[in-house]
Amino acid sequence: MDRRATFWILYLPPLLWLGAFFLIPLLLMFAYSFRPNMSGDFFQLWQPSLNQYTKLISTGSFWRLLGVSSLMALAIAIFAVVLSYPIAYFLAFQGRQRAGFYLVLLLVPFWTSYLLRVMAWKIMLGTEGVINSFLMYINLIQEPLTALLYNRNAVVLTLVYVWIPFATLPILAALQRIDLSLFEAAADLGARPIHQFLRITLPLSLPGVFAAFFMVFIPTVGEYVTPLLVGGSRGSMYGNIIQDFFTKAANWPFGSAMSMVMLAGTLILVAIATRLVNLRDLLE
Amino acid sequence: MNPKKPLLYPLTGMLVALTLILSACGGSVATATEAPAVEATSAPTEAPAATSAPTEAPVAEVTSSLAVLDWAGYDAEDFWVDFKNAYPEVTVSFEIGISDADIYAKMAAGNQADVFHPYTGWLQFYVDEGLVEEIDTSKLTNWDKVPEHFKQIGQFNGKQYFLPWDWGFSSVLYRTDKIPEGVDSWAALTDPKYAGHISMWDDGPAAVTVSSYIHGYDETAITVDQLAAIQAEWIAQRDSNLFYWAGEPELVEGMTSGDVWAGYAWQGAYATLLANGVPVEYANPKEGRNSWVGLYGIRKGTENLDLALKFLDAKLAEATGNNVVNLFYYGHSNQDVMNGITDETLKEAFSIDDPGVLETTNFTPNLTAEQRDAWTAMWAEVKAAP
Repeated sequence: MDRRATFWILYLPPLLWLGAFFLIPLLLMFAYSFRPNMSGDFFQLWQPSLNQYTKLISTGSFWRLLGVSSLMALAIAIFAVVLSYPIAYFLAFQGRQRAGFYLVLLLVPFWTSYLLRVMAWKIMLGTEGVINSFLMYINLIQEPLTALLYNRNAVVLTLVYVWIPFATLPILAALQRIDLSLFEAAADLGARPIHQFLRITLPLSLPGVFAAFFMVFIPTVGEYVTPLLVGGSRGSMYGNIIQDFFTKAANWPFGSAMSMVMLAGTLILVAIATRLVNLRDLLE
Repeated sequence: MNPKKPLLYPLTGMLVALTLILSACGGSVATATEAPAVEATSAPTEAPAATSAPTEAPVAEVTSSLAVLDWAGYDAEDFWVDFKNAYPEVTVSFEIGISDADIYAKMAAGNQADVFHPYTGWLQFYVDEGLVEEIDTSKLTNWDKVPEHFKQIGQFNGKQYFLPWDWGFSSVLYRTDKIPEGVDSWAALTDPKYAGHISMWDDGPAAVTVSSYIHGYDETAITVDQLAAIQAEWIAQRDSNLFYWAGEPELVEGMTSGDVWAGYAWQGAYATLLANGVPVEYANPKEGRNSWVGLYGIRKGTENLDLALKFLDAKLAEATGNNVVNLFYYGHSNQDVMNGITDETLKEAFSIDDPGVLETTNFTPNLTAEQRDAWTAMWAEVKAAP
């Protein structure tokens, strides 16, 4: 079989899959965002209209929420990366023969449903939850703390927890690529461990760090399940509002317009970020 | 060369792949909780035809399939048991909608369900958009058991488009131990006195309804200014609201744990909590309770019209109705079913012994498309407000 045939056999299935289930729906959504309203058949032609976008532009609270959601995603991504770096470091350099086992341990929680794990956080943080019960048991507080659950902090806390194992993997991969003879050379030249870390380990692991950061940041901007469960009345993120327009408002055109704005916003942020950190240089 | 590398690399790759697959499964939780489509297994035995079914054909031998767009839970066989018994060879498949808006949007987008289940407030659009078939009530054997006021709810332009089926109240449900003074107004839901212990239903039109009751607005003619006032009211209410509940179990859990003292509720939650021994009372607000009716419609253009009619007729039959009452604590449109209730908890839930309750009940009026868009957008802004 020639190379071309092999190429198409390998690439056609994923391409078809992505095209049918990702690209076409995305294009439909793009087209739908220019629909004036829900009236009429799904596939009927409509007079393109900027109604949804003008309404969206004039609604300040939605813009603000997009900003808040981006900031939350930023905070979550930073926390997740900072917390997973030591884990990845341990697995790469200290785990020795047991590294594989520890990695499995790290990923074990992911064998349970996402929903269950978020529910577990409700049990941790609730007024009758583990934290409150313990604090009351040791008489540190008399009334349960209500500030633990049903707010944005609970959303950030839960999402950081959810993302740590994911963020660990690309950092681990980057750390494992570092040639260990570099450390020997540095030690021979008199570099102390802290200098070895700052001059060798950290710079060489940065591609993994940025990969981890974006892997957390991008999906978190549009997150909606976790805020729904632990966010309470004030914890809604931009993704929740999009979901509401689709499932509670029967207003797909407006939901589509909101989605397109979020997509554009995320792409712009990522473009700016990649320019700032010069990702290409790092990866090379 | 690090000896552990060759080991760890394939392992890492495998785990990454596995994790991504698992997380993908986890990521779809919003839909994963939906009940799986029910595939009716064809029973080989000749089940006796229900007495209510037409006799022109040996009904048990009708083989075909019927698609139903319904709410989670209603796909359980308990809620179409009479149809199942009469037509064991028919495959009934269910698709789940998570809200009225969801069901409407799906039907508008060309969903091929033969039968769908909207609630009062969301009926007019189906008629306006030509999505619903007129029901030939002469083919319904159980139709005469449905009281006239229920029938009227499904009528538009003098035609019967929807078949009324389940009904219930909305009111304020509260913990009597936490609010010993009781609740006599819908305003309890916005009362800062209960800050941190209120749970409102996550629904824009419901918020407009509650505010209309409190302030005496005409719900069918809310002005721009009134809507702005309603929005401000619910934005302020967020400081008192612990969480918005989307599904009844969330409210039941919150009230059982004692975190929620007062909430917007259907009487299903009331009956569940009563049965669990939680000290709760279902308010009779001075503004009146709200009441709602669920109806079934048949998709215009369905090829299964006859079967869909038989499905609807069987929905009105007694065994199905009893299950609605006993399992979901909702009312049923077959009056014989309601007359047969003896259970005290249920009597309490429906206020069956309180003849005045229906007179002071406000039926949910139908939304217009403009109201729907404006009120749901208002609610989104409440949730997005700083």
